Order: sequence, then C-alpha cells, then structure tokens
Amino acid sequence: MLELNNQYTLIKRRVQTEVLKQFFDETLEQDADKIPFLIIPKERIPNRCCIYKERAMIRYRIMAMLGIDIERFDDEMKPLTEYVKEVMVKDTPAVPILTTISTACSACPPDRYLISDACRGCFARPCLANCPKDCITFSHGQAHIEEDRCIRCGKCKEVCPFHAVVHIPVPCEEACPVNAVKKNEDGYVEIDYKKCISCGRCAMSCPFGAIVERSGLIPVVKMLKAQQHVTAMIAPAIEGQFPGTLAQIKQALLSCGFSSVVEVSQGAETTSIHEAHELTHRKESGAGYMTTSCCPAYMEVVDKHLPFLSERRSEALSPMGYIAQWCKEQNPETKTIFIGPCLAKKVEAIRLGTIDGVMTFSELASLFMAKGVDVREMESADLGDTASFEDCRQFAVSSGVAGCVLNRLEGTQEVNVLPINGIDKKMFRAMKIWEKRPPEADLIEVMCCEGGCINGPGTIVKPSVALKLRGGNKAATPVKAMRDPLVRSEMHERK
Amino acid sequence: MGKREKVLVKICVGTACFVQGGADLLLYNDFLDPVVLANCEIEGSSCLGMCKMSSTKARPPFVQIGTEVYGDMTQERFCKLLAEAVNA
Repeated sequence: MLELNNQYTLIKRRVQTEVLKQFFDETLEQDADKIPFLIIPKERIPNRCCIYKERAMIRYRIMAMLGIDIERFDDEMKPLTEYVKEVMVKDTPAVPILTTISTACSACPPDRYLISDACRGCFARPCLANCPKDCITFSHGQAHIEEDRCIRCGKCKEVCPFHAVVHIPVPCEEACPVNAVKKNEDGYVEIDYKKCISCGRCAMSCPFGAIVERSGLIPVVKMLKAQQHVTAMIAPAIEGQFPGTLAQIKQALLSCGFSSVVEVSQGAETTSIHEAHELTHRKESGAGYMTTSCCPAYMEVVDKHLPFLSERRSEALSPMGYIAQWCKEQNPETKTIFIGPCLAKKVEAIRLGTIDGVMTFSELASLFMAKGVDVREMESADLGDTASFEDCRQFAVSSGVAGCVLNRLEGTQEVNVLPINGIDKKMFRAMKIWEKRPPEADLIEVMCCEGGCINGPGTIVKPSVALKLRGGNKAATPVKAMRDPLVRSEMHERK
Repeated sequence: MGKREKVLVKICVGTACFVQGGADLLLYNDFLDPVVLANCEIEGSSCLGMCKMSSTKARPPFVQIGTEVYGDMTQERFCKLLAEAVNA
C-alpha cells in the first residue's frame, strides 16, 4: 500500500478543507466551481499531463466529497454548484462507499514479470530450467519472457541470482483481498460490489487516486449547521491522530459544534463483556472456536465470502453498535455520528440503523482546519469516569480486542488466542481453509487492517507515530513524546 | 573542533501542520543523521502562524530552523536543511 502521506492525500485534504470553508461561509452553492482553480493555479507544475486534467480530477474529488456516485452519476456538463444544490436538499445514499474515476485510472497493464537489463544471460540459466511453462527465451545475450505463455508464477524471479526479474503489479488488484477489483475491457478499473468488503485497501493503493471513497461528511456538517443535537462518537483509534490529548480532542469537537462527545471505548467494554461470556459458554459446551465481530470489513468477508464463519463470529454488537444504542437511550433526539478510521463502518451503520452518520479522522482533520480549530491550543474537556473502559482504548490495536476480552473472563481459563493481523490475499486464502480444518484456537481476533484500526484507510498519521503518541498525556507534547523512549534507552545504556 | 552552539529547531505541531505531513517529521530520531541530530536542539512549537498568512506561497508543514521558517517540509528536505544548518 502507498505511504500514508503523499501528494494525493495532501491534495484531498486541501480539497475537503476548501469545500468545508465555503460550506460554512455559505458560498458553496455559488462558488464550488472555483475550487479546482484555487487548488491548481496556472503556475503549478503538474504531476499529471497538464493542469487542466488536474483541475478535472479536483472536480471529481469534490463530487466524491459531496457523496456522489461518480461511476453512475457523472455529468461533465453539469456544474458543481448544481450538484451542491442537490445534496443540500437531499442526502445521497451512502452505499456503495467506493466509486471509481475512470479518467484518473492509468489503465495499468495486467500484472506481469519482466526481465530487466540486470540479466547477465548466465550459463546456469535457472530461470529457463525452472519455468513450468517453458516461456523463457534468450536473445542478444539476455533472457526474455514470452508474455502469452507466462502464467505469472514468479518462479523465475525466485531463482534469478542477479535479481534481474521484476514483478510489476496492478496496485489496486494486488491490494484487494477478495478479488473485487477488476479491469473492464478497456483496461479501466471496476469494482465488483457483490464481492467488495469495503475495506478501502484499493483506494489506499492506487497511485493515481482513481478509486475514491464517497464521503458522508456533508450530511454531518448540515446537522452541525442546523444546530441539531449531535453526538460525536470517537473511535478508540483517535488517540494519537491529532497533536493533543483525548480531552483536548473532545474540546476541539465541542468547539466545532458537536453537542456532546462520547468514547466508543465505552461501548467496547460492553462488547468485551459479551464476548467473554460467549467464549466461556462456547468453551464449556465444546462448541469450538469463536471469532470477534467488531471489524466491519471482516463481517463483510463472512457475509459475502465465508458464510461458514457466520456461526463462529460472536453475536456481540460492535462497540459502535452499543455506544449508539446508549446515546439514543440517553437522548432519543440526538444524532449519532461515528468518527473513526474505517470505511466499512459506513456499511455497518446502515445495517444497524442507530447511527446517523460516519466520518473519518481524515475528514475530521479537514473540519478542524476549515473551522480554524487547533487541537493543541484547546483546554482539556472533562472525559468523565473512564476507569472501567480505559483498557478498551486498545481495541484500536491488533491483539487489543482479545486482551480486553481475556481481562473480563471470569475465573481462570486456558484460552488460546489467534490474532489475525490484517486480511490480505494470503490471509483470506488461509481463512477459507478453516472450513475444512478449524484453527487450533478458542478466540480468533480478526482485524482487516494490518496493525489494527490505527492503520485504517481514514487515518492521518502512520501507526509508528500514532503508537508513540497514545496513552496518557503524550500527545500534548508530540515532539517530546517521540524523544522520550530514546532518552530512556540511552539512560539504560549508561548504566 | 570547538564546542558550538546547537541549532535550534522548532517543528510546528499546530493541527494544520500536523495533519498535512508534519506528523512524519516527528520520526526524526529514525531518519536524521545522528551526527546532525546531536548538533540540533529540536522542540515542538505551537502554530507558527505561517499558515494564516496570505502573503506566503509556502504550505504546511512549517519548521523553524535557527531564525528562518520553511514551509512544504518533507523528511528529505528536513534532513538536507538541518545538515546545511549544522555545517554552516
């Protein structure tokens, strides 16, 4: 997958910020079409072929941000302001959460193996000897691959003593764990929504930004502007995403117009207790392994690809499900907005029906910038009594969910835990085998993103940064927090 | 070589800088040359105010090295500028 910080994510954030600024200034309905010119000025040295194409792409990003299904409803003759007027009146349906911009797609050639100039045309020729399809030929003293016979097994790459064989993948296809991303006959990207699990890996992988998420931000900011009672439900992964503590993030949200802020970790406590009970029960009755159920992309995997796991996954609601229920009990009028790192949560939100909106950390960052809110300068809001669910903030990190469930088991039980840290193609194949050969574990914690939710598609900072800022008040002084572990290890060495 | 003043470096950790790539600079322990690092005094800073100035074309993240403020900072550029400042 692409590095989190790249030209594309930065420009996306700028687009979102500008759109939100105009939204709050009430100029969006007149001036939306000016944004591409603002972001791509005449003087810019383009990364694509020309500034005009770049501007057209900005237009599509704005459409995605407005929640428009570009694949189906792109009308090039229609100005952005018309789209804006439509979404101001009526919210767009949230699924499918991904859409593609075919003109952004570079139509990458199918994945292939290529022998580079590093080939010395050696005497031993292990590539020739090991190719099962006999498709290596030699000319001009170098090996070549006959494209039409090659089955892309990669044997030649493995055996070449000069590392002369390169694999050129199609990033989106390679990233999709369930083969839902395909090329149409013209070579442009297409998503098979019947297979798609909404994990967002393809969108994070495309270096041309041709796969985009349809944002659910506009409905949320409409609620904020209308001064409705809006509850922000912040996912456990939020800590470390901003330069400030949880208490400061809460205050920042309040100053953006949210009426109240609750931690989803509180719901995670209910999830852990439920799963601990279930696990005990399953162990006693010899029912075999149980998987967690809090990762919505995994839930999609089960529903769409591995139905045999549907009786294996825990019946507990996700933390988001429980906390939304709780919020609605406290105040039936409140609008519940989940703020997290996840795209698949949007699918879950529709299924549950108790959640009125989902936004990502990345979108929240744009909201903060548009509103001129600096998390670091915020006072600390009162987080209330968090003692009982403090450990549940670890739900955001691989192995954290299992840890919380184990902490809540009654008595002493031997529990065999198997964490699934990221579902990629290989892991998906391994999970398929569970049907015939059940894994030797009692509790399987499944997280679709490698490292856990802190590596989700809606995050802002790399997991390596986020991990160092999480816990206590470290995020209040980010630079110092980065240095501290080093200082400690140095002191260790001196002793 | 006589003992020299350390170069004072301020990484802006205002929200706008932090979320637009500034967070990556915080990993300086991992990517800076240790010799350069030893000659720098790096600290975090509240918003330097540059992002709100319309006169500048530079964009976040901002970093102050000595008395000079630089925008559009990346890890590579940070390495280069710090090395220059230390060896100046």
